[in-house]
Amino acid sequence: MRPDSDLRQRSEIEASALPPLLARAEHLAGTVLLGDHGRRRAGLGDDFWQYRPAQIGDSRRLIDHRRSARGDMQFVREREWQIAQSVMMWVDQGASMRFTSDTSPKTALPEKIDRARLLGLATSVLLIRGGERVGLTGTSLPPRRGNMQIRRLAEFFTIDDDTDYAPPEHRAMIPHARAVFLSDFLGDMTEVRLALTKAADRGVRGVLLQVLDPSEEMFPFHGRTIFESVGGTMRHETLKAGDLRARYQERLAARKDELMGLCRATGWQFGTHHTGESAQSALLWLYRALDGGTS
Amino acid sequence: MTVIAGIGFSAPWLLLALLALPILWIILRAVPPAPIRRRFPGVALLLGLSDEDTVTDRTPWWLLLLRILAVAAVIVGLAGPVLNPQRDAGGSGPLLILLDGTWAGATRWSDKQDLVAVQLAEAGRANRPVAILRLSDPEAPSFQAADAWQARIAGLRPMPYAPTETQIDSVLATFDAASGFDTHWISDGLDYAGRDRVRAALQAKGDLRVYQTGSAVIGLAPAVFEDGAVTLTARRSVPGAARDVVILAQGRDPAGIERTLATATATFDAGEREAQVALSLPSELRARVTRFEVQGQNSAGATSLADDSLRRREVALISGRDDREGLQLLSPLHYLNQALMPSAELLNGALIDLLPANPDAVVLADVATLSDAEAESLAAWVEEGGLLLRFAGPRLAASDISREDEDPLMPVRLRAGGRSVGGAMSWGEPKGLAPFAEGSPFYGLSIPEDVTVNAQVMAQPDPTLADRVIASLADGTPLVTRKALGQGQVVLFHVTANAEWSTLPLSGLFVEMLERLAVSSTAGAPTAVDLEGTTWEPVQVLDAYGALEDAGTRPGVAGPDLAEAPLGPDLAPGIYDSGDRRLARNVIGAETALTPASWPEDVPVEGLGTIGEKPLGGILLTLALAMLAADILASLALSGRLRGQRAATAAAILLALGLLPHPGQAQVVNDEAAALLATEELVLAHVITGDAQVDELAQAGLSGLGDVLRYRTSVEPGEPMAVNLETDELAFFPMLYWPVTPDQPIPSAEAYARLNTYLRSGGLIVFDTRDADVAGFGASSPNGRRLQQLAAPLDIPPLEPVPHDHVLTRTFYLLQDFPGRYAGRDVWVEAAPPDAEQVDGMPFRNLNDGVTPVIIGGNDWAGAWAVDASGRAMLPVGRGFAGERQRELANRFGVNLVMHVLTGNYKSDQVHVPALLDRLGQ
Repeated sequence: MRPDSDLRQRSEIEASALPPLLARAEHLAGTVLLGDHGRRRAGLGDDFWQYRPAQIGDSRRLIDHRRSARGDMQFVREREWQIAQSVMMWVDQGASMRFTSDTSPKTALPEKIDRARLLGLATSVLLIRGGERVGLTGTSLPPRRGNMQIRRLAEFFTIDDDTDYAPPEHRAMIPHARAVFLSDFLGDMTEVRLALTKAADRGVRGVLLQVLDPSEEMFPFHGRTIFESVGGTMRHETLKAGDLRARYQERLAARKDELMGLCRATGWQFGTHHTGESAQSALLWLYRALDGGTS
Repeated sequence: MTVIAGIGFSAPWLLLALLALPILWIILRAVPPAPIRRRFPGVALLLGLSDEDTVTDRTPWWLLLLRILAVAAVIVGLAGPVLNPQRDAGGSGPLLILLDGTWAGATRWSDKQDLVAVQLAEAGRANRPVAILRLSDPEAPSFQAADAWQARIAGLRPMPYAPTETQIDSVLATFDAASGFDTHWISDGLDYAGRDRVRAALQAKGDLRVYQTGSAVIGLAPAVFEDGAVTLTARRSVPGAARDVVILAQGRDPAGIERTLATATATFDAGEREAQVALSLPSELRARVTRFEVQGQNSAGATSLADDSLRRREVALISGRDDREGLQLLSPLHYLNQALMPSAELLNGALIDLLPANPDAVVLADVATLSDAEAESLAAWVEEGGLLLRFAGPRLAASDISREDEDPLMPVRLRAGGRSVGGAMSWGEPKGLAPFAEGSPFYGLSIPEDVTVNAQVMAQPDPTLADRVIASLADGTPLVTRKALGQGQVVLFHVTANAEWSTLPLSGLFVEMLERLAVSSTAGAPTAVDLEGTTWEPVQVLDAYGALEDAGTRPGVAGPDLAEAPLGPDLAPGIYDSGDRRLARNVIGAETALTPASWPEDVPVEGLGTIGEKPLGGILLTLALAMLAADILASLALSGRLRGQRAATAAAILLALGLLPHPGQAQVVNDEAAALLATEELVLAHVITGDAQVDELAQAGLSGLGDVLRYRTSVEPGEPMAVNLETDELAFFPMLYWPVTPDQPIPSAEAYARLNTYLRSGGLIVFDTRDADVAGFGASSPNGRRLQQLAAPLDIPPLEPVPHDHVLTRTFYLLQDFPGRYAGRDVWVEAAPPDAEQVDGMPFRNLNDGVTPVIIGGNDWAGAWAVDASGRAMLPVGRGFAGERQRELANRFGVNLVMHVLTGNYKSDQVHVPALLDRLGQ
């Protein structure tokens, strides 16, 4: 069994609990890619909407002769106006995400990267099932539809990145699309700030979900300790880890505040998820965040 | 040795290291524990945070205290602390530790060993050379380092006697040769001859110090049987306060188990040195007593062995003339009664009634004829060890008994009539007795002048006569003759038991002769004169602790020595045996007094009490180790490494230290697994011979045979198994293939018992000597000889070569012969019953019912069957196609063999099938 198929299977299980997710399509104009979102009105689209009597000004080419031949009136076939939302995912594949504080068999916590991928792919499954186009930020996997795309996403999610704190990928953002960023956001903030500003400039709105291990929140350490990043690039030695707890938690809160402020400024939404909690709640939150306002 | 607060230190300067402890305190508290490396992504947020207090993570005070204490324990432990250190007694130069080493010290011997150990330790610290000498077992003193002696303390044992004069002489001689030395004399508290000489010699050599216990030595004099009670006398060396001693009579109960038969309490009155108690015992019980001992005193002196003197022999007296009215002095039994009354229990009555009482001796005074029943039971009784003592008399002389042929109950043949000398109607003087010859039991008895013989019965000269005479007259005619009959003996006095024919019954010699013949036993201890001329073999000897041990090869002792000579290396106390008599030599004789050893004023005398030194170094070092182990756990706990799983692991390790795996369990499981393996399928088995190549070939052969069976028949055997006859259960296997090698070990008796059970319950063993190419059947080859040895203890019926109509020839294939790798010789199976006949119309006889228990051959069948893992034959058979044909026949024999084992004579019963079908058809 290939590794991605397992991730795919679990993602499908998570996603099956929620109704298809409809991304909010706010900005119609300028969207070059047509989607399936019926606007309940005639317009550009593939699906049949209604026949209406031909009016003056209609081009003759528009007349549907099969319908018109039944009677004396001439009908024009109208199609439903449809639009598909493009959603771009960014899941932090960096080394810092490959961390869990508890590996004992009974109470084992998943690695952060595992949870982030699961959430990312589950969201993708929901979106694709709802007819959205889902892709990755950057140029590697542009948004597409269909089950094949889920599979491609799953494949991309198995590629580990050895960078310690991976910067968010913000290139080639499609204007007015939606974006989902999953990371622990413990790395350098300038990249995140840059990415969000850039996204806001292009009218992209989205969700930031910070995935944290419980130990990163609680800081349950004592005694003389050398802390090392997972990639090994950073280290910090302390003689009394217990004393650092308060200050660490202050810094973490400050980081969250900063992220939240950033989101508020750019119209994004910010959430925090701990690997100790269930993935379902996080997926529900993501669903509501992406779906916000449409239902 | 420096003593600080009652504890001595062998290296006191080391204690100065304790001063360094406060410095250690400062160092230890400054050093933080080793850091833990921890992967933590949140480190990005930690960057730049500095510790508020650089030495905040200080070792907690109690951990510091633990470490300091551990270090202190190491320092103090290495300083060599000793509890109860012995103060130096002073002195230098060589030291002689002298022990009496007699039985008197045996009761408290361990105290003396402790004392020796203490003195050795002391001398070792003072670097004095030491020699240890036991006066009772002297060797030339060799001065060695004290350590060399320490190991030999356990080997110092007391001897069951006091030092003899010769021993003391030899010791004094060695003292003369040695230069000056000091002496510590550990005395047992009893005086003995020559002790003063030793003391004088030692005082001349150097300082003498005596260690002696103040308590009394208690001895037990030999038991005396008087007035129907056993009188026991206990003695003590020091008169003191009133004291009770319990005397135990030990002996075997009817089941033969040694136990206490009776107890008596003797009381020493204050100031008295002797205590007596009379113990009244039934004679049956008294005869069983083997020894008396003083409770709580395990020394040879406090043990008194019982011998014949306590044992009253039962003598049945039978006379032929008891119905005659006559004068009492003429009664043939009168003198015997007189002689035996003091020392034996006399039984009177009819012979046939007395024999069941199993008397020790039966005396027939002038009894000529016995009824057949009497003679028979008397002979049987004598053969079981009885002593039959016969006296002659007119009746015997007149009868024809033992005239022509020797009567079994007479030692010699008798001439008709007898003779009378020196009487009123005959010529010649009455005859005196000749001195007793050396081989005679009477040897050494002195013959009074006034013993004369007037008349006697005469023995016929026979070739055996000379051997049977044990006393004769001055002219050489036999007076007493004796012969052995079974385990007992028959003795004939050729004179009467009264004074009619001789004056012998009137003399003291008569009683002594009866004693020597063990008809009676002496009351009281025998004197040297009594035992003149006898030799006594030691049966069991006492050690100093009063325990009996086998005498082994100790030489015999002359009678007078046994009675009188002082005990020594050549004469150990114990039980001595001469013929039917049994004598005990005790440490304390009837007259032996226990004299305490007294020392002149200038000799310092100390008690034995010692408080053993107790080195504390080992305990302290162990304590330090334990504290360091606790420190490890505490440090781990402090640094956060002893949490959750690690704590469980640590606890598991600690537990595992105390719990050792139990090896017995696995064996049972293995046995069960093997039994399951052997019984889940049909399994062919071969016996392990010990020759790896043969075993491997047998395994391969059986596996090849298994393949053949699987292809051709419905028998589908599993993987063959190797069977160890000593350990494995055989019942699971229908047949055993047993290749014979010339050097395989013979199984044990237990293994043969199980093999026989296996054969009787229907098992089959195929013996294969594998030498048909070179040898015929029989003992001609080494394998054949080994086979004979192997099979000898087996329960094997008569054998014959396989007859042409044996069921083995047709259980599956029709076979004429049974080749293996060799197409050699006959194959032997259980012989057909002799009455087996061929019935008309039947192609073969109706032979044995059941399976033959053994098949013996030498064709190396396993070699022909053997295949390797890929199914190819391992060994060549014959040449070319003929060889392959032979292998095929060998395989067919294997199939027939297994079929025979599994179906028995089923194929023989097949001859009835036509008849059965015929009957069914009607």
